[in-house]
Amino acid sequence: MQTSIIPQLRDTPDGEEADRILRACTHCGFCTATCPTYQLLGDERDSPRGRIYLIKQVLEGEAPTQKTQMHLDRCLTCRACETTCPSGVEYAKLADIGRDLVDQQVERPVHERAIRWLLRHIVAYRNRFAFFFRLGHFFKPLLVGPLAPLKQKMPPRRKALAWPKNDNATRTMLVLDGCVQPVAAPNTNAHAARIFSQLGVQLIAPKASGCCGALSQHLSHREEANDFARRNIDAWWPYIEDGAEAIVLTASGCGASVVEYGHMLRNDPAYAEKAARVSELARDLSDILAQEDLSQLGDLGHGRQVAYHPPCTLQNAPQLHDNVAEILAQAGYKLTHVRDSHLCCGSAGTYSILQPTMANQLRENKLASLNAGDPDVIVTANVGCQLHLESAAGVPVRHWIELLEPSAAAA
Amino acid sequence: MADAAIADAAEKVLASRPDKAQLIDKLVAELPEHVVLHAEEDLRPFECDGLSAYRQLPMIVILPETIDQVQTAMRVCHANDVAVVARGAGTGLSGGALPMDNGVLLSLAKFKQILDIDTENRRATVQPGVRNLAISEAVSHLGLYYAPDPSSQIACSIGGNVAENSGGVHCLKYGLTTHNIVQLEIVTVDGERMTIGSEALDTPGYDLLALMTGSEGLLGVIVEVVVKLLPKPERAQVVLAAFDDVRKAGDAVAAIIQAGIIPAGLEMLDSPAIIATEEFVHADYPTDAAAILLCEVDGTHAEVDEHIADVTAVVEREGATEVRVSRDDAERAVFWAGRKAAFPAMGRISPDYYCMDGTIPRKALADVLIGIGELSKKYGQRVANVFHAGDGNLHPLILYDANIEGELERTEEFGGAICELCLEHGGTITGEHGVGVEKIDQMCVQFPPDELTQFHAVKNAFDDKGLLNPGKAVPTLHRCAEFGAMHVHNGELPFPELERL
Amino acid sequence: MTTSADQTDQLTERVRAAFESKSPLKLTGGGTKAFLGEQVKGDTLDVTGHTGVVNYEPGELVMTARAGTPLSELEAVLEAEGQMLAFEPPHYGDNATLGGTIVSGVSGPARPFTGAARDFVLGTRIINGQGQALRFGGEVMKNVAGYDLSRLMAGAYGTLGVLLDISLKVLPLPRTQITRVFEHGPSEALTQISDWQRKPWPITGAYWEDGKTYLRLAGATSPVESACEKLGGETLDDDKPFWRDVREQQRPFFSNADKPLWRLSLPPAAPMLDIDGDCVIDWGGAQRWLASDIDAVALRRIVKDEGGHASVYRGDASPRFHPIGESMLALQQRLKRSMDPAGILNPGRIYPEL
Repeated sequence: MQTSIIPQLRDTPDGEEADRILRACTHCGFCTATCPTYQLLGDERDSPRGRIYLIKQVLEGEAPTQKTQMHLDRCLTCRACETTCPSGVEYAKLADIGRDLVDQQVERPVHERAIRWLLRHIVAYRNRFAFFFRLGHFFKPLLVGPLAPLKQKMPPRRKALAWPKNDNATRTMLVLDGCVQPVAAPNTNAHAARIFSQLGVQLIAPKASGCCGALSQHLSHREEANDFARRNIDAWWPYIEDGAEAIVLTASGCGASVVEYGHMLRNDPAYAEKAARVSELARDLSDILAQEDLSQLGDLGHGRQVAYHPPCTLQNAPQLHDNVAEILAQAGYKLTHVRDSHLCCGSAGTYSILQPTMANQLRENKLASLNAGDPDVIVTANVGCQLHLESAAGVPVRHWIELLEPSAAAA
Repeated sequence: MADAAIADAAEKVLASRPDKAQLIDKLVAELPEHVVLHAEEDLRPFECDGLSAYRQLPMIVILPETIDQVQTAMRVCHANDVAVVARGAGTGLSGGALPMDNGVLLSLAKFKQILDIDTENRRATVQPGVRNLAISEAVSHLGLYYAPDPSSQIACSIGGNVAENSGGVHCLKYGLTTHNIVQLEIVTVDGERMTIGSEALDTPGYDLLALMTGSEGLLGVIVEVVVKLLPKPERAQVVLAAFDDVRKAGDAVAAIIQAGIIPAGLEMLDSPAIIATEEFVHADYPTDAAAILLCEVDGTHAEVDEHIADVTAVVEREGATEVRVSRDDAERAVFWAGRKAAFPAMGRISPDYYCMDGTIPRKALADVLIGIGELSKKYGQRVANVFHAGDGNLHPLILYDANIEGELERTEEFGGAICELCLEHGGTITGEHGVGVEKIDQMCVQFPPDELTQFHAVKNAFDDKGLLNPGKAVPTLHRCAEFGAMHVHNGELPFPELERL
Repeated sequence: MTTSADQTDQLTERVRAAFESKSPLKLTGGGTKAFLGEQVKGDTLDVTGHTGVVNYEPGELVMTARAGTPLSELEAVLEAEGQMLAFEPPHYGDNATLGGTIVSGVSGPARPFTGAARDFVLGTRIINGQGQALRFGGEVMKNVAGYDLSRLMAGAYGTLGVLLDISLKVLPLPRTQITRVFEHGPSEALTQISDWQRKPWPITGAYWEDGKTYLRLAGATSPVESACEKLGGETLDDDKPFWRDVREQQRPFFSNADKPLWRLSLPPAAPMLDIDGDCVIDWGGAQRWLASDIDAVALRRIVKDEGGHASVYRGDASPRFHPIGESMLALQQRLKRSMDPAGILNPGRIYPEL
């Protein structure tokens, strides 16, 4: 596609990258077919191709308004479009650049700014989030009137399981604890640690690590995201030097972010090399388990019906590999057929909070597809999807790793 | 004389300068405000379809949600003499949905419902914005599918397919869109709703279904389509044959047909196309081949076995250097994935490409390919060839860089030369992409003035003010005169009465 | 061998003269389809002298021939190369011409399975109502340059143009053909045929008459045989004369001239209509022949309710073809004028007003 980016942007790193990405786009429209928002709304401006165009016009010097901002906000960044793009357009990278650029020029209304600030300054910090999470549960009865929707968004409190002792472990791997997951679904990593322990692998979650940075990245604070990345790299680096084999990502949303560290910090001389190494080591939980001998786990499923929702981040981030279905089948579960499994459930990081109408519509469609096969349980591989679906599912929604533990599997 | 009046109407609409503010007022008086877009920021994403070399900011975009709203929009535009360009998924490759700065762009993209699936009669009633592939997906569990499969089928919509009479990989055996639909609901230029065709296999009176199909939005706005569904073949298998010479591959195509086999699909990719698509799909295409043929046969198990053996024997006899047969459906899908993504995959080896669509008799394949190679040298531009060899439908992709000044113009000229090469070999300038704006000048070469005048007269029967998609598909005689390279009939220069610019 | 004569100039001259004097022309070929539709008053324009195969290359699957060429001659030429007209055109007499076949748009028992006459038209050369010889479409498989006026000629009964040459897609003859016979009542036959058509079998004919369903399979040998195995039923020996008689309306059902004969064109799975009279089913249910004294208006109402239409083949009902709505008629009149501004080509042949 022809481009004419304005001179003041053209030679910046963002401008160069945006130009490179835009030039690859041929405007064929294949991306519209897999875009959840275009499929719902049928408006070119809510399709990847339309958003590319909206971003292009900003790069070419047109002043955006709240309308452009809204259409960019409505994008889930699920990256389904990237999988159908024959020209290799790196849409998500362009969207990040575009959102930043638009947010610099279009001021958001106060309430939007407030929500975004809170998301960045509370949710992204495990302890702060935990505090408000407890507080929320305490005041739950008071969530009425306009605050009532929050009640539905609030996941149940769960009792934390103990981590294994790992006396016999001969190998070590790192695991990202993140921000929301340890509070809202504390047992995902605990389950993973117990299963890895059976396989002779010790999982380590360094205290100093935290949010992967995706939250800030998608809220147009890319420098803040880079800081989160640096913090995690610092926390992991000593272990990596000590021979940790991999960084296990149990939430694919975080995974998609960590595998990008190399790209995010490529221009930071102090971190570029370490970040690239971290991205190399980062792998999805299912990808790592697929390499291990799981036969010792035995038949856990006894033919129970499972509907699997593969998170977009796991399907679409090119560096992550999804082996969940194969592992569950091997463990004796029967996977139901799920229509349109490429479509996003609407969770998409902070999306379900910022775009509740779209998110709920997508969730409704997703649950209809998931429930069509009459499953005993719905599983997914990302805490965001898990919580979002759980709040309306009518069937238990779990992280799939839980199904590999005999105690949990039976429950 | 009627002809002059008709030509006049078209010219008048193209040159008209409607009052935008007034029209917006009239539209929002009868339509919800949010369906009428008029700020430049909102309009920009609609400025082109799948042919991004041609761009034009529309004056207004309407995004109706109901047929009522379509009728209202048409009525208002008709009453105010404003042109209307209908648009589906915007994947067209001839600029058929290129907007007008003095017209309304009417998007049918919100019409995404499959309204009815009738298994007894093997039909589906769908709205025009339904994606081609979505129809087959929706009836797959019934053992049925919708046959025409343009390469953009993942994204292109059925309304656009009807407007362009889209073909695809499988139309040699299963026909074009025109062979696979039975009924249309259209909204006429003045907002009337009308049924074309019927639920039976024929309709009394003229076959307007045939006329509407492929009319590129110049005769009416399609708001509902009843398509035929076919039983899925028991099995389909693809033979991939590599050749070290384009001529041998071309001859093999003719040989397969001559052997009495009608393959479900018979496609060819030349070396640049193989290399570019291989990078995207990793289908393990032989990247050192000069050309590959993909020949699909389908039917019952026994039938497929019989034909696979026949095809393999033919291509081997014609000098294939390598022959592979798809082992399962997954591998078959991978073989096709490369073919279907081939156009946009050019984005990986070139910033821009220009896709041609000539159709020629099969026997001329090798000659025309070699001719295109010579033109490529002459113009100094790379060409990749990906095409429906079984139908003789070529898709030369001219690679260029739109950011380099003058490249697009040279590319257009090169494209025109390819069109004319096809005509010299008894072919046509467009097999399935439509004329749009892209090939409108070549229409003057393909058709003499009397034929063009007849087209305008037919258009006039549907749209006497010339408001539907003006400037597309059929050139005005003035335009042909300006283009200069006109059909020369019996040695006479046509339109002697027209002044040359 | 076929005769060959190009009368383009003479025919064009005749039409031009008629255009100038505004005198209607009655187009005639072999006269075998004259009984269809309405009668035309006008000077006879006979196209049977415009004959011959213009181009036929079996490897291209295309044949171009002049409109006056006898259909039987063309079929013989094709058969010699192992090919055919896959829409199985009815002749309705020895003198049927290619032009008459196309303008009347008639197709035989294979129609729902392989396509109609119009589906095989690739290009035409015609004379419009102003006496201009025009060429549309071509000899290639796919062609979307300009409106599809060639296919529009099929079934237009010469009211939009005088056909000169027609280019058709032709197909290889099937290697094998087998017909199976089943005992069915009419409703059972319809259900059964609908079910069979959802199977990927090479069906090319499905006809019901007097308690028996006749299913024809044709194509490569192996799929025909394997489908027959699954189908059961009795084989009809020497089935070619049977299907010829169906195509040509030579079955005994058609020769009983007591009652008017109606052609009902319906959605294939439409139920059996509750009408007094005898009925046979062709086209897998989509074409039903009815011998009945029922009132034309009543019949047409019933048929229309089922999504179909009714035309009279024998009898004196008027109009002969199922009437179309007012705005549709107005559109078709405008279309007619666009090709024949003086209204001289077979005026009133389809409807008195067209």
